[in-house]
Amino acid sequence: MAFASYLVKRLGFMAVTLFLVTLITFGLTNVLPGNVALLILGPNATEESLAQLETQLGLNQPLYVQYVDWIVGLARGDMGMSLRYNTPVAEQIAIRLPRSLLLAISATIVSVTLSIPLGIIAAVRKNTPADLTASMLAFIGLSLPIFLWGLVFIFVFALNLGAFPTRGYVSPAEDPIAALHYLILPAGAMGVALTAYIMRMTRSSMIDELSEDYVEFARAKGLSEQTVVLRHALKNAAIPVITVIAFQFSYAFGGVVVLEEVFSWPGIGRLTLTAIENRDIPLLQGCIIVIALIYMVSNFLADAFYAYVDPRIRYGGEK
Amino acid sequence: MRSTSTDPLLSVESLRTEFRTEGGTVTAVNDVSFALEQGEVMGLVGESGAGKSVTATSILRLIPYPGEIVSGAVTFDGEDLLERTEKEMQGIRGNRITLIPQDPMTSLNPVLTVGRQIIETIRLHQDVDKAEAREIAIESMREVEIPDPQSRIDEYPHEFSGGMRQRVLIAIGLACEPDLIIADEPTTALDVTTQAKILELLNDLRERRGVSILMITHNLGVVAQTCDRVGVMYAGNLIETGRVEDVFEQPRHPYTRALIDSIPSVDDDLERLYSLPGSMPDPKALPDGCNFADRCAHATEECRAGPDPALEAVSNRSTDSQVACLRAADLDLSEPARNGTDERRQRTTTTESLLEVNGLKKHFSAGDGFFGNLSLTRTDGGGLSLERRYVKAVDGVSFTINRGETLGLVGESGCGKSTVARTVMQLLEPTDGEVYFDGHPLHELGSSEMRSLRQEMQIIFQDPKSSLNPRKTVGQIIGRGMKKHGIATGDEKRSRIEELLERVGLQAGDIDKYPHQFSGGQQQRIAIANALAVEPKLIVCDEPVSALDVSVQAQILNLLADIQDEFDLSYLFISHNISVVRHICDRVAVMYLGKVAELGPTERVFSPPYHPYTESLLSAVPHSTPDRQPDRILLEGTVPSPIDPPTGCSFHTRCPKKLDGTCEREEPGLDPIDGDGTHQISCHLSVDEMGEPRTETGEPRADP
Repeated sequence: MAFASYLVKRLGFMAVTLFLVTLITFGLTNVLPGNVALLILGPNATEESLAQLETQLGLNQPLYVQYVDWIVGLARGDMGMSLRYNTPVAEQIAIRLPRSLLLAISATIVSVTLSIPLGIIAAVRKNTPADLTASMLAFIGLSLPIFLWGLVFIFVFALNLGAFPTRGYVSPAEDPIAALHYLILPAGAMGVALTAYIMRMTRSSMIDELSEDYVEFARAKGLSEQTVVLRHALKNAAIPVITVIAFQFSYAFGGVVVLEEVFSWPGIGRLTLTAIENRDIPLLQGCIIVIALIYMVSNFLADAFYAYVDPRIRYGGEK
Repeated sequence: MRSTSTDPLLSVESLRTEFRTEGGTVTAVNDVSFALEQGEVMGLVGESGAGKSVTATSILRLIPYPGEIVSGAVTFDGEDLLERTEKEMQGIRGNRITLIPQDPMTSLNPVLTVGRQIIETIRLHQDVDKAEAREIAIESMREVEIPDPQSRIDEYPHEFSGGMRQRVLIAIGLACEPDLIIADEPTTALDVTTQAKILELLNDLRERRGVSILMITHNLGVVAQTCDRVGVMYAGNLIETGRVEDVFEQPRHPYTRALIDSIPSVDDDLERLYSLPGSMPDPKALPDGCNFADRCAHATEECRAGPDPALEAVSNRSTDSQVACLRAADLDLSEPARNGTDERRQRTTTTESLLEVNGLKKHFSAGDGFFGNLSLTRTDGGGLSLERRYVKAVDGVSFTINRGETLGLVGESGCGKSTVARTVMQLLEPTDGEVYFDGHPLHELGSSEMRSLRQEMQIIFQDPKSSLNPRKTVGQIIGRGMKKHGIATGDEKRSRIEELLERVGLQAGDIDKYPHQFSGGQQQRIAIANALAVEPKLIVCDEPVSALDVSVQAQILNLLADIQDEFDLSYLFISHNISVVRHICDRVAVMYLGKVAELGPTERVFSPPYHPYTESLLSAVPHSTPDRQPDRILLEGTVPSPIDPPTGCSFHTRCPKKLDGTCEREEPGLDPIDGDGTHQISCHLSVDEMGEPRTETGEPRADP
C-alpha cells in the first residue's frame, strides 16, 4: 500500500518535471536565432513564399498556440517533421534510440561488473595497497572525460592492437557477432569512465555498512566473513549504489552525444548534433524530450527499485 | 551440549586486550580473571571505558581492529578459545556461546526478514532443512513471547518495536540452545517499562533453560535484579567480585561503594548525592599502582606505586568476595559514603509564576518532503483517498513553573517531553497554545523581541559534545552570549568567565582550551557555565545527565542543585530517568503520548503513585538493592503511534486498571485530587480506586 502510494507520488513528480522540461525545450528552441522558414527555403526565397510557409507550419500563430499544438502532437507521438530529413521526427528517433540504448546499457553493464567487486574489495581491505590501487584507478577514470577514454581505447585496441574496428555500427539483428565487435570499444570506453563513481560509492557505502551493529552481530552468530560481507552488508550497501548506477546511466546517455561522434555510432546523440548543426528545430525538440524522458524514467526506476530493496520504504515504516 | 565436568563453564584467566592506536596503546582489559559456573548469571558492571564490553568481545574473539588479545586464556567447557582457529570459533559463536547485543534498533539487518535472520543461524549450526529451521525459529520466537510468531516471522525488523526487536535478538541467541549467553547491555537502549519486561524474560529463561548468562551492564539495578554474582570493572581492571548480596551490602572496594552511592535512589526525594571527584584515568596513560587511587578517599602512598593490586580473596570467611585493594582488610565500607553536607536540600520556592504554558500543541507533518505527509488510504467504500497526516507530538499540555522551582518532565521516549521544551523555548513554533514567560506572551512575540528574551531562558542539552562549537575556545563559547546580550566585554568578560568556570568546578586556566580537551562531564560543566553566563531566569535541562556515567552524573546533579539555590534559577528538567527526576525536582509532570497524565509535587506524585501509568513507570525501575523484588507492573503492548492516538484516555490500550467503556470513549481531564489543587491527575478512576491494589498478590497500599 505504502509502496503504491510512494510510486504514485514519484509519478506525480515525474509528470510535473516533464511538463517543465517541455516548457524549457520549447522556449529555448524558439528563442534560438534563425528563421525556420528561411532555413527551409534558402536565402533566395520571396517574402510571399516565406509567409505562405510560415502559415503552413503555424509559425505566425501566438507562441502558446504553437506550444499547445506541439504538446498535443507529442502526446499522440507526433513530433512533427524533420526539416533536414523531411521524414517524421518520431521515425528518426525510433531508428536511432535503440542503438543509443544498446550502447548505454552495455556501458552500464561493463561499469557495474567492474566497479562493484572492486568497491567491495577496497572496502574490505580498507587502507591497504589493494584499496589504494583500486581507489587510484577509479580516480583516474573519474578525472578523464568520456571522449578521451574513447580516443585512448581507439588508439590502444583499434590502432595499435588492431583487435577492434575504430568506428561504425552493425545492427545486432543483421549480424550479432559483428555487432558485438563494433560495440565493445565504445561500451568499454564509456564503462571504464563510469566505473569510478560507482566503485567509490560502493566502497564508501560498504565501509559504512561494515561498521554497523548488525554486521558485528552477524559475526557473533558465527557467520563466515564472506557471508557477513556478501549477504548482510552488501544488500544494504547496494541501496545507495543503485541510485548512483541509475544516475550514471542517465549520465551515460548524456555522454553518448560525444562518444557517438568519436565512434561514428549512429545513435540519438549524433542525431541531436545533426539537428543542432542544421537548425532542425522539430528534430532537436524531439531529441531533447526523448533524452530527458530516458533520464527521468531511469531515475524513476532507480527510486522504485530503491524502495523495493529497502523494506522501510516499501512498507512505509518509521524513519 | 557440554561435557559433564566439575570445572566452571567459562573461566577467564589473566586476560589482556590492547588497542594499538596512533595515540598510544590502550589496555582495555588488563589482567582480568573470573569464572562462571554452569547455570549461573554473572554481572560485569562498570562505567564506560571500564573494559566490560571488550572483555565480552574478547571471549567471542570478535575484537575489532586494531584490538588484539595479548595474553591470557579463555577456557570454555574445557577448551581454550584463544587456541581455536577462526573456523572453529565460527562453530562456537551463535551456537554454544551467543551474544545479545546492546542496541536492538541497529543490531538486526534492516533488509532481511527477522525469520531469515533467525533461520540462517539455525541452519548454520544445526543439520536441519529449511522447513525444520523455520519451525525451530517460530518456537524460539514463541519462547521469547513474541505474539503471533507464525506471521511475524516474515516481517522486517522495522515492523517491530524496540522491545520486540530485543526479543528477536534473544530468540536468535536461544535458537541453538547455547550453554552461555553474553548479554551486552541488553536493556540500555530500551524504555524503562520495556526494560522491565526484557529482564523478566531473561530471568524466566534462565530458570527454564538453566543457561548461564554473562550480563554486561552499567546499571546496578539490572545487576541487582538479575545476577547471582557480580564483577566490578574499573579502567580495565576487575576490582571486585562476589555474590550480588555481598557486594551490594558489604562492598570491599572504595569504588564499588562510590558507584552504589552515586545512584539516585528511586525512593528518595531531593537527597544530596554522594559524588566521586574526577573521572576515570586516560586509558593510554594509566597511573602507577591502583588506577582508582586518584579518586579514592582512602588511598595512601603505597596505593600509588607498584603494579595494579591483584584480585584477592577477602579474609572474612563468610563471603567468597574477592577484591583488588591494598587496604581492603582495613576498610569497613558497609555504610554509605558521604561527602560533607549530606542533608536533604531545604527547598523554599515562591508561588510567583515565571513560566506559564497553556494548552500547548505541536503537530509535525508525518513523513518528509512536500507531499510527504500525504498518505494514500482506502476509504470504507474501497476507494482510494489522499489524507494529510500529523504526528501529534505535543497535544494540549499546560503547566506553570514558579521562580526558583524545578519542574520535571518525565516519560518514555516519544512521549513529547523534548518537544515541549523546544516549543516552550520557541525553538519550534507551537501549533497552538500560549506560553507566558515572566509576563511576556512568547507565542505572540516577533523574532527580535524573542531574541532579547532568549538571554533569560537557556537550554542545556543531553550531548555536550555536539552542542559546544568544536572550533571555538571555552572562553569564546561562553563569552559570545555575554557580549551579545551586553553583559560584559573585554577584561571584565574574561574575569567573569574565569569566575564561572571555577564556579562549575573547572579551572580559570581552562578558558583558552577547546571542548574536545575535556571529558563528557567537564563538557557538561562548560555547557552549564555557558547557560549561566547570560544570567538567565530559567534553564531548560534536556536530559542533561543521560549521556554521563553515574559517578559523573552525581557531580552534575549536585552542581545543578547548588547553582539553583545560589542564582535563584528555575529549571524545566526533562528526563526519562525517574530516579533522577525524583532526586532534583520540586514538582513533576508525567507525560504519556503528548499529554500530561499527572502533575504535582514530586513526593505526592510518587509516594504512593496514583495514576496507573505513573505507578507502572515507577514499578518498572530496577532497584539497586538485591533483596527487593518489587511487584512489577508489566504494561501490555507498546506505546501507540502519535499519528493515530487511541480514543478516550490515550493510556487505555495498556492500562491495567482500565474501566471498560468509559476509558475508551471519554478523554479524562487533568483534575485536581487534593484540596489546594496542586496535584492533578488525568484519569477516570477515583483516588480510592487508583490506590487499590491491582491483583490479589499486590501489597495493599498505605493511605497517603
